[in-house]
Amino acid sequence: MATHSEHHHDHHHGHDHGPADPHAPIDDGETVRYEHLLEAAIRELLEEKGILTSADIHRQIDAQDSRTPALGAKVVAKAWVDPAFKAKLLASPLQTIADTFGVPMNTPLELVVLENTPQVHNVVVCTLCSCYPRMLLGIPPAWYKSTEYRSRVVVEPRKVLAEFGTVLPDDVEIRVSDSTADLRYLVLPMRPAGTEGMTEAELADLVTRDSMIGTALPRAPR
Amino acid sequence: MQDRRVNDVGGLPAGPIDREEHATTLFEKRVDALVMLLTSPEVGAFKVDALRRAIEQNTAEDYRRFGYYDKWIRAIRDLLIEQEILTAEEIDARIADIRKRRAKARP
Amino acid sequence: MTARPPRPGEALPVGTRVRVRRGPPEFHCRTPTYLRGAVGEIAAVVGYYRDPSRLALHKPGLPMRLLYRVRFRQIDIWPAYEGPPADSLFADLYGHWLDPLTGDANGNA
Repeated sequence: MATHSEHHHDHHHGHDHGPADPHAPIDDGETVRYEHLLEAAIRELLEEKGILTSADIHRQIDAQDSRTPALGAKVVAKAWVDPAFKAKLLASPLQTIADTFGVPMNTPLELVVLENTPQVHNVVVCTLCSCYPRMLLGIPPAWYKSTEYRSRVVVEPRKVLAEFGTVLPDDVEIRVSDSTADLRYLVLPMRPAGTEGMTEAELADLVTRDSMIGTALPRAPR
Repeated sequence: MQDRRVNDVGGLPAGPIDREEHATTLFEKRVDALVMLLTSPEVGAFKVDALRRAIEQNTAEDYRRFGYYDKWIRAIRDLLIEQEILTAEEIDARIADIRKRRAKARP
Repeated sequence: MTARPPRPGEALPVGTRVRVRRGPPEFHCRTPTYLRGAVGEIAAVVGYYRDPSRLALHKPGLPMRLLYRVRFRQIDIWPAYEGPPADSLFADLYGHWLDPLTGDANGNA
């Protein structure tokens, strides 16, 4: 849920600015963040110069808002119940998702689906920045972008997973994928036991965002 | 021991992961939208690779202390200037103008 | 989307053992330091992409570089890896950062 306030009352005094600095907070009893003013200034200037329109920006925000873990969960649930869909998904993920769910996947990037098995558990990271399958799952969580996650999950994945409450036995291979280039990874978790007869919608409810990143397993059925 | 770029953090010692969830703010969505639009083929101001490079040019201290979206909007500013689409002067002037407008708008 | 698939003989075959090159830190290098010098194997040939470290400088990034998905055993990356030996790590690396190995891991034929 977005907050619609441009006046972000955030006392970020990390900047060492003198009084003549245009970046200094204004002295009216309120602190306005420089970066918020910067974003507004850039947006206004680009609109005035005809480089972007406010409609472009709204459209882009709406398009990104429409990508959420719920969409990914639908994909996973369908793969669990429909072997033909799953085969197409693994072979050609973005095209299959676009065709099946009517969601345009206009991206130059490729999506790769990593299937968890009883022998292999996948977990995804981008150590160099924050690459994430945004075209499907939306904006990544803050922890995924943190230096702590990016530093540690490659060298001590089991410890990191344990912090998330996920413990896997030693006979399961933990496979970390570092998204260092133009591929984006979606983990296809294993279907939990005891879910026979559940509908696709009920199954989708079990699929959490973190289970599609690999730091968690799907919820167990009630 | 090889020098690393500030973003090249894989394997470095680090503390516990803060897993608190934060709703995406309007500011964050706007910054994200600017990134996507400016790097789109239709606009083509620069590639996302250039934005990442600009972020990598932060000092280690700035990389750690500036928030994620703050780094992106600062990189956008740097790249728009580098590509001679905007100037630092007109950005600063517009920021000053916006401050005045907002100060006037307050009761 | 990759620009074109490799022509016959251009790509290192899947299964080829490779060592990641050591090299100076470049701005916008997509070969992480933690993998420099590590030995892995080609898991997949992904395809050609414009060179990101050149795109980062507003260059066209030509000639395109061949991207591979490379598999490593964690114990071959980290001397003190604490998990089981079957644990693995995959990274997407460009061919100009990889040296194919012949014979043993030291490159001896």
